[in-house]
Amino acid sequence: MEWLQVMVARLTGLFRRRVLDAELDRELSVHLEALTEENIRRGMTEQAARHAARRAFGGLEQTKESYRDRRGLPFFETLAQDLRYAVRMLVKSPGFTLVTVLTLALGIGANTGLFSLVNSVLLGNLPVRNPEELVVVKYTDSRSQQAQEDFSYPMYQALRDKNTAFRNVLTRSGVDFNASYGGQSERATGEMVSGNYFETLGVRAFLGRLIGPEDDRTPGAHPVAVLSYGYWQRRFGSDAAVVGKDLILNNNPIRVIGITPPGFYGTEMARNPDIRVPMMMATVFRPVPANRLENPRHRWMTILARRKPQVTVGQAQASLDILYHQVLAAELQERESSINAHDKERTLASRIQLEPGNQGFAHLRTEMERPLLLMFCVTGIVLLVACANLANLLLARNAKRKQEISVRLAIGAGRGRLIRQWLTESLLLSVLGGCAGIFVAYWAETALLGFLPADFSANLQAPMDFRVLGFALLASLFTGLLFGLAPAFQLSHAGVSITLRHDSPSIASGERIFCLRSALIFLQVALSLPLLIGAGLFLHSLENLRGVSTGFVKENVFLTTLNPAMNGYPRERIKSLYDDLLALVRAMPDVRAASLTTSSVISGGWDQEGVKVEGYLPGADENMSPNAAIISPGYFATMGIPFVEGRDFTEQDTAARPKVVIINETMAHYFFGNKDPLGKKIGTEDDPKAPPDREIIGVVKDAKYVRLSEAPRRHFYAPMAQELRLLDMTLQVRTSGDPEKIGNLVRAQVHDLDANLPLYATTTLEIQIDDSLMQERLITWLSSLFGLLATLLASLGLSGIVAFSVSRRTREIGIRMALGAQPDDILRHVVGHMAFLVTAGMAVGLAAAYGLSRLLGSMLYEVGSADPRAFAGSCFLLGVVAALAAYWPARRATEVDPVVALRYE
Amino acid sequence: MAETHGEVLQGTLDLIVLKTLEALGPLHGYGIAMRIQQVSEDLLKLNQGTLYPALLRLEQRGWISSKWGVSDNNRKAKYYTLTRSGRKQLLAETESWERMAALMTRLLGRAEGA
Repeated sequence: MEWLQVMVARLTGLFRRRVLDAELDRELSVHLEALTEENIRRGMTEQAARHAARRAFGGLEQTKESYRDRRGLPFFETLAQDLRYAVRMLVKSPGFTLVTVLTLALGIGANTGLFSLVNSVLLGNLPVRNPEELVVVKYTDSRSQQAQEDFSYPMYQALRDKNTAFRNVLTRSGVDFNASYGGQSERATGEMVSGNYFETLGVRAFLGRLIGPEDDRTPGAHPVAVLSYGYWQRRFGSDAAVVGKDLILNNNPIRVIGITPPGFYGTEMARNPDIRVPMMMATVFRPVPANRLENPRHRWMTILARRKPQVTVGQAQASLDILYHQVLAAELQERESSINAHDKERTLASRIQLEPGNQGFAHLRTEMERPLLLMFCVTGIVLLVACANLANLLLARNAKRKQEISVRLAIGAGRGRLIRQWLTESLLLSVLGGCAGIFVAYWAETALLGFLPADFSANLQAPMDFRVLGFALLASLFTGLLFGLAPAFQLSHAGVSITLRHDSPSIASGERIFCLRSALIFLQVALSLPLLIGAGLFLHSLENLRGVSTGFVKENVFLTTLNPAMNGYPRERIKSLYDDLLALVRAMPDVRAASLTTSSVISGGWDQEGVKVEGYLPGADENMSPNAAIISPGYFATMGIPFVEGRDFTEQDTAARPKVVIINETMAHYFFGNKDPLGKKIGTEDDPKAPPDREIIGVVKDAKYVRLSEAPRRHFYAPMAQELRLLDMTLQVRTSGDPEKIGNLVRAQVHDLDANLPLYATTTLEIQIDDSLMQERLITWLSSLFGLLATLLASLGLSGIVAFSVSRRTREIGIRMALGAQPDDILRHVVGHMAFLVTAGMAVGLAAAYGLSRLLGSMLYEVGSADPRAFAGSCFLLGVVAALAAYWPARRATEVDPVVALRYE
Repeated sequence: MAETHGEVLQGTLDLIVLKTLEALGPLHGYGIAMRIQQVSEDLLKLNQGTLYPALLRLEQRGWISSKWGVSDNNRKAKYYTLTRSGRKQLLAETESWERMAALMTRLLGRAEGA
C-alpha cells in the first residue's frame, strides 16, 4: 500500500507546481541564510560566509532538480513537454500532417472496419446466458464423413431425457408462415422450438411470457406464438396490446403470448425468425408427412445443449455417443425386416460429435470465415505499405531537420531523449490517424454490411465495442512505432560534428538514409505486387463466373414465389389455383412463356431425391440422389433449356396417367451410358421392393442449378400434376420486354385470385444470378481497391525517393553534364538504381504471390494459382505506374543547369 | 576513494533523519543538517542539499509530516515531525540495522582473527 501512498503524493505534486516551487525556494534560501549567518558568527566576512554556505549546501539547482523529479512524475511531465513540442511541429507543417493523418486514417480505418466485422462475425457469441456452456450436437455420416446436424424428434426426446451430461437440451426447426393480421397477409420467417428452448438459452420475455414446457406437450394443441422484437416493431409498431391477440398463421388463429428481448435472434446469426411456435405445432404447420413427430426416419430438427458446468465437452460427447447408439440400435431392431446388413452397419458407424455452441449454428459464418480473414490480411498489408511510406516521408522530413537535431545534440540532449521525442511525434500522428480511422472504419463497415444478407447484418450488434476500439488503438500505436523508428535508426549513427557543420547534400552524406529509403521502396513493391496479383486472380475468376455457360437464358425472366399450401387449402384448390394463375399470366401482353417450379435456378438451394434406376445396380455407397425439381409444363420453354430428345410434359400428363419424368444429359450418361434412356424407368419410392415406375420421356441439356461454379449435376424433373407435395412454387415468366414491368400485373392478378396469398422473393433471374455472386464481387472489389491503394502508396514513395536522390546529387549531375553527359545518360543513371529496386521488389513479390495464391484455391473459379493473365497484368500495371512515378521527378535531373549546380554549395 | 568514504547510503540517511526527529522533536531542514554534522563530528561528508529530496521521500511515504512554523530567530521555516508510522519504521529499521551491524562485526572480527 505504501507505493499507492507515494503515487498519490506524486500525483498531487503534479498540480500547484508554481506554489510548491516557491515553497521549495523559500525553504532552501532559509537554510542557506542560516548557514551564512552561522559562518559570519564564526568570524567570516559576509562574502566568504556566503560562499562557504553554498559549498556546504552543494549544488542548489541539482537539489531542486532531484527534488522536483521526486515530487511529480517526471515521465509524464517529459511526455507532456514532448507532446507540446510535437503539436507545434505538426501545426508548423500542415501539409505533411494532413497527408500523414489521411494515409493513416485510411490504413487504420480499413483494418479496424474489417476487424469489427471479424469481431462480430467470427468472435461474437450468441446473445444468451453463458454461451460458452452451449454445444451443437451433430453426428458424422459414415459415408461422407461430414458432420450432419439433422435429428429426428424421437432421437431428440431420447437425448433430452436420458442424458447425464447436460442441464438442458433444446431443439428447433425452421418454418415459414403466411401471417395475417388486421386483414393484411404477408410472408414471415419462423421457427418451431421445444418447450425448454428459452429456458435453455436463459432468455427472458421482453413483454408477456415466452414458450415454456407447458406449451409443448400435445401435438397440435398449443396455438401460441412468441414474436421477435424486430418483427413486433416493424409489423405492429411496437404496440404492446398485440400480446394476447390472435394472429392468423397459415389459416390458424394463434395467440401471441409474448415478445423476445431486443438483440435476441435465436441460435443462428444468419437468421432472425419473426415468429416462434411450440415444436408440437409441427403437425399443424408442417402437416406433411403427418407422422413427422413419431417417425425416427424423418430427420428435420437441429439440437443445441447446455452442458453441466462440471462436465467437459469430451465427457459429454462420450456419454451422449453411447446413448445415441442405444437409440439407433433400438430403431434398427424395429425396422429389421426392411433393412439390409450394409445399411445397418453404416447407420451404426455414425458417431456423435459435439461442437462448441457459443456461436450457435454457424453456417454462414463458416462460409464467411475465409474471405473475411483474407481481406483482413490484405488490409494489414496495405497498412504495412502505408507505414513504409510514412517512414519514408519522416526520413525525408528529418533530413531537413538536421540543423535542429545537431543543435539539440550539441547542447546535451541524449540520443534516447531525441528518439523518445520523435516517437512521441509519430505516435501522436498515428493516434490522430487512428481517431480519424475510426470514422473511416465506421463508414467502411456500413458499406461492407451492405453486401451481407439483410438478416445477417441486422444481427451483427454493437459494431464499435471496446474490442474494436482497443484494436484501433493498438493498430495506431503499432504503426506509430513502426514508422517512427526509421528516423531513430538513422539518428543512432549521426555524429554531432558532421551535422553541426553547415551541411549540404554532398555526394557522401545521406548515404545511410538513402539505403534505408531504398529498402523501404523495395519492401513496398514486394508487398504491393501480391495484392495486385490477388486482385487480378479474383477479377479473372469473377469474369469466368459471369461468362459461364449456364445452360439457360437468363435475360427477361420475372420470378416470384408463393405457397398456397400454407393457407391450409385442400389439394384440389391449390391445383386449380396454380392452373388459373398460369392461364392468366400466359394471356398477359408481352408474356412469351410462363411456368412453375419447386426450385428456382441459382437461388442457392435445391432438392435432392433418392432414386432407383431400371437396369442399374448401384454400388454399396454410391450416391443415388440426383437433384430433382417438380415443374409445370412449359418450364423448358420459359428457361430456354433445349431438349436433346423426347418431349416436354403436357396437360395430359395428369395423376391418372402413367408417371413420367424428364432427365438431364449428365444423368442420362451416368445411368445409361450410350444407350437410349427414353422409355426406361426410374423410381423414387422409399419401399425397396417397389419397382421403378416413372417413365423417362425426355432428355434435356444440362444447366447450372444451385450456383454458377458447380460441376455438372445429375438432375431429373417430375410433372406437378403427378406430385403430391406442393410446397413453395416459383412462378417464372419470360417476357419480350422488361421483366420488372410484368411484376405489378402478376401481383394484381394473384391478389384478384386470392387476397390472402402473399408473394415473396420477387425478382428477375438476372438479378438473382447477380446476387449469387455477391461474395465474389465483394472480394474482387475490395482486393482491387486495396491493391491499387498499395500501388499508389508505393509509387508515391518511389517518386519521393527519386526526387530526394536527384536533389542530393545535383552537383554530381552538374559535373557529369559539364563533362558532356547527355540527358539520356543522366536519366539512365538516376533511374537505374530505382529500376533495380523495383525489379528486385517485383521478383520477391512474384515469388510470394505464387506461394500464397495456392491458398486461395477453392475461392477461385477456373483460374490456376499461376494464372498468367493476372500475374503478367499486375506486373505490367505496377511496372508502368512505377516507371511514371520515377520518371516524373527524374526528368528534373536532366534539366539541371551545370553552372547553377556547380555553384550550388 | 577517500571522498566516497564519507558518503551516505540512501537508506542510512533515512534512518539518520528519522532518528534525529525522534530525538529532538519537530525540526527544520537546517536543524537536521546541523544535528547530523554535530553527531557525526564531520565524519559524514553530506551535501546538505541532498537532505531535501530525502525529506520529500520520507514525507511521501507518510513517515514524517511537515508544517510551516516560526524558528527561534523569528524566521518562517518548514518544520518536520515524525509521524506514528514513521516511528514504527524507525523501530523496524533500527532493528534490522543492528542485526546487520552485529553480523558484519562478527564476520569482520572472525576474518581479522583468522
